[in-house]
Amino acid sequence: MSLMDESPTQFERNATAVLTEAVLRVDARTRSRLNQARQAALEAAHKRRPLWRLTLMPAAGAVAAALLVTMLLWHRAPETRLPAIEGRADATMDMDLLTDKDAIDLLDGGDGPFYEWAAAQSDTNGESS
Amino acid sequence: MREFATLASPYSMPAAYDGDVDLTDPAEQTQTRALNQFLAGVEVKAFKIAQAALRHEDDALDAVQDAMLQLARAYAKRPAEEWKPLFYRILENRIRDMQRRRTVRGRVMAWLPFRADEEDEEADPIAQAASTEPQPVRRLELDEAMGALEKALEGLPRRQQQAFLLRTLEGLDVAQTAAAMGCSQGSVKTHYFRAVQALRAQLGDLYV
Repeated sequence: MSLMDESPTQFERNATAVLTEAVLRVDARTRSRLNQARQAALEAAHKRRPLWRLTLMPAAGAVAAALLVTMLLWHRAPETRLPAIEGRADATMDMDLLTDKDAIDLLDGGDGPFYEWAAAQSDTNGESS
Repeated sequence: MREFATLASPYSMPAAYDGDVDLTDPAEQTQTRALNQFLAGVEVKAFKIAQAALRHEDDALDAVQDAMLQLARAYAKRPAEEWKPLFYRILENRIRDMQRRRTVRGRVMAWLPFRADEEDEEADPIAQAASTEPQPVRRLELDEAMGALEKALEGLPRRQQQAFLLRTLEGLDVAQTAAAMGCSQGSVKTHYFRAVQALRAQLGDLYV
């Protein structure tokens, strides 16, 4: 029996003949697809990536990731901070009203009962809702 | 030189775009022609080898295409004598990857209630027409022998199948087969010897 480096036996020669025939019988569609694959491979071999693309692409990816994180933080920041700023502004306005001499004069004037009524109305509405 | 030409005349066309190989270079042209010739010579045999291993036409075509692509991209500059073992080594790796992926996919798909049957595609009888037409009686004998051999090959362990096909179909010698299979020449001889024994035991009189 042949061990590859010796001359082939009759069995091996027959097997080779049958396999060769099988290759010849490969249909036209498959041959066409193989041809297309070969052309694509040869074309791709000519379009090698330039070195600068290989070195710059990871850096560009890192910059893009950093920008994304910055944008996310930027957009999230107002949601947590704006109410605090608004509250602080309201408190400042209240302090202005209390320290404003004219405002106290208004309270001391004839509108006192009106403000009391308005406050009572506000409390009633708050309870009913 | 290219930059100089571009600076000298803003309307001059560069020989090749950035990232491309200069195809006007005679050495490149010769190499491309040689590679094309090599691939054209092995592609159908490689397809049959991949088909024997994967038992699926489209998968076999994909494997051959990937092997051609990788050879052209990574090893085109190597001496042409090295292309054949390299190509079959790449193809073998690709076949093994596809077999592994198929095993995993099979396990996953087994859990799904519905799955598309890839074998349902209708065959186009015109497209699949044979490219050669032997005489009817001879054709019948060959059909029988081919069917029996393909069935027997399917039953062989992968390494034996590979050693047998690389030798009998592609005609690689022991050293080239060892390089393609990534093993020693002694292992190649053992795989091949066992393959021939097993095939002979199954096919018997049909081939003797």
